[in-house]
Amino acid sequence: MSAAFQGITRPAHIAVATAAALAVGGLAAGGIGSDMLLSLLTQATIFAIFAVGVGVLLRQNGMVSFGHAAFYGLAGYVAGILIREMGWSGEGAVLAALGGVALFAFVLGFVVVRVPGIAFGMLTIAIGQSFYQGATTSRSLTGGADGLHIDWPQTLFGVSLDTLFQPHVMFMVCWTALVLCVAGLALLLSTNFGAVTEAVRDNEERARFIGIRTLLPRVLVFTLSAFVTAVAGTLSALNTGFVSPESLHWSVSGSALMMVIVGGYRRLWGPALGAMLFFLARDFLGDFAEHWLAIFGAALIFVIVFAPDGFSGALVGLWRRMRGGGKSRGAAAVQAN
Amino acid sequence: MSTPQALEVEDVAVYYGGVKAVDGVTFTVASGEIRGLIGPNGAGKSTVIDAITGRRKPTRGRVRLQGEDVTGLGVIERRQRGLARSFQRTSIFAEMTVGAQVELAARKVGATDWKANAHEVLRQLDLLELHGWMADELGYGQQRRLDLALALVGRPSLLLLDEPMAGLSSQESEQLAEHLQQLTSSWNVGVLLVEHDMDVVFGISDSVTVFELGQVIASGDPAEVRAHPRVRQAYLGSAA
Repeated sequence: MSAAFQGITRPAHIAVATAAALAVGGLAAGGIGSDMLLSLLTQATIFAIFAVGVGVLLRQNGMVSFGHAAFYGLAGYVAGILIREMGWSGEGAVLAALGGVALFAFVLGFVVVRVPGIAFGMLTIAIGQSFYQGATTSRSLTGGADGLHIDWPQTLFGVSLDTLFQPHVMFMVCWTALVLCVAGLALLLSTNFGAVTEAVRDNEERARFIGIRTLLPRVLVFTLSAFVTAVAGTLSALNTGFVSPESLHWSVSGSALMMVIVGGYRRLWGPALGAMLFFLARDFLGDFAEHWLAIFGAALIFVIVFAPDGFSGALVGLWRRMRGGGKSRGAAAVQAN
Repeated sequence: MSTPQALEVEDVAVYYGGVKAVDGVTFTVASGEIRGLIGPNGAGKSTVIDAITGRRKPTRGRVRLQGEDVTGLGVIERRQRGLARSFQRTSIFAEMTVGAQVELAARKVGATDWKANAHEVLRQLDLLELHGWMADELGYGQQRRLDLALALVGRPSLLLLDEPMAGLSSQESEQLAEHLQQLTSSWNVGVLLVEHDMDVVFGISDSVTVFELGQVIASGDPAEVRAHPRVRQAYLGSAA
């Protein structure tokens, strides 16, 4: 397995890391007294899931999407419309939103993943913006520019809404979803599927010449990426009880991409770290500067120039140096084996 | 009944519009034979390789592997039938370890015991101790050997090598040539070798085919080809 992509480890390591991450979330949910801070962390966690979705596409397929907000917003709209217009149960609407977006992405993937480089990015903008326009103009179904209020049923998966909407519970639900998404992806990518997708990303032609059919793995990564993004979109719709065309806008995809770059995409948890930093920066810098995004933009430039692996890469590098590293990646891998 | 050739190229032509890149090319490669393919730049060598591998559809002609007509098949189907290739530019998986990519290749080409097969190929090419190294950390010569390893997994019946010595030092070229000769005889694999290094081609090939302007101008054993007047004049020069 590629040692460059250190996020993928063996199942036992993943299980331990998952348990530790859930414990940290539990401690945060129980220990933070401020509802406002918990609410901020919940939003950050939802965007962290979104960023993980965008990041896995870049990591495994080498593709930059400016249109993933389409999957994010679409999941919320599907859930909202099914509950509001068709009287579906909350559980049914959630599952249909996730499954529907994944199915849509799977079909779409067969077309879009064939498009190379910058053209793929442009295509994703076009697809995303067509959803944005559609949601804005279809007033009778989506509420148009005013958005759509979602009246979630009183219980969801056996939990009452009153309980669910308590800030520490909602944070823990979102945090658990984030941890499970990262762990699930790590497990999946530690299998042969991960190696195949890395090979296709690195050198598609050589991959074909060792007998790999390259289209399906790329489509499946695109689908996985959309599914994870849909998880974020569904949680956002649950958290706010509202979905608007803004959630489909390309600028939302752009923000997610910034989080991916700042956090680093070579490790699965890097984009989540980037999202947390993004939200914390917005909150703290926002108190001092009206144009906080400009400051964040400067940080982005700094990261791209001086830490191309993002903060996650810098942290891992620091950790290795502290443990007496400085070894080459190959030597480290030899040692690990 | 005679044993089928590892490769039969019969009257293959590749046209780009009105330009005849390759026209009416015929030759064979037997199992365990190394056939050198030489010619000046633009002679059509790489185009023939592409037509044999299925990367480019020939305008005319047939390609057979072990007697089976594979002209209409794609790259992956031909690989499954034992055709492997290396590229003019090193073609490896830069962000994977040496071991991971050779094992992956062994699995994907359907080697029965892929772990053992990958191990054997790595050992044959002196890459075993680099098993855990990232490919992009290797030296150029090591990367060329890794490229060859990716082609050799699954014990192919035919190996197409497109300028495998390009960029190597003379010592590295000698080593690689040695590896090639050993593998060809011990695995009974047919090799089609496109190479500019004439010392290597005439040193290790059992037969040589010479291209000029998309056509075969001479074919035979190395001594015969060296002596061919048109080859001496057009390609090797009078000093050859």
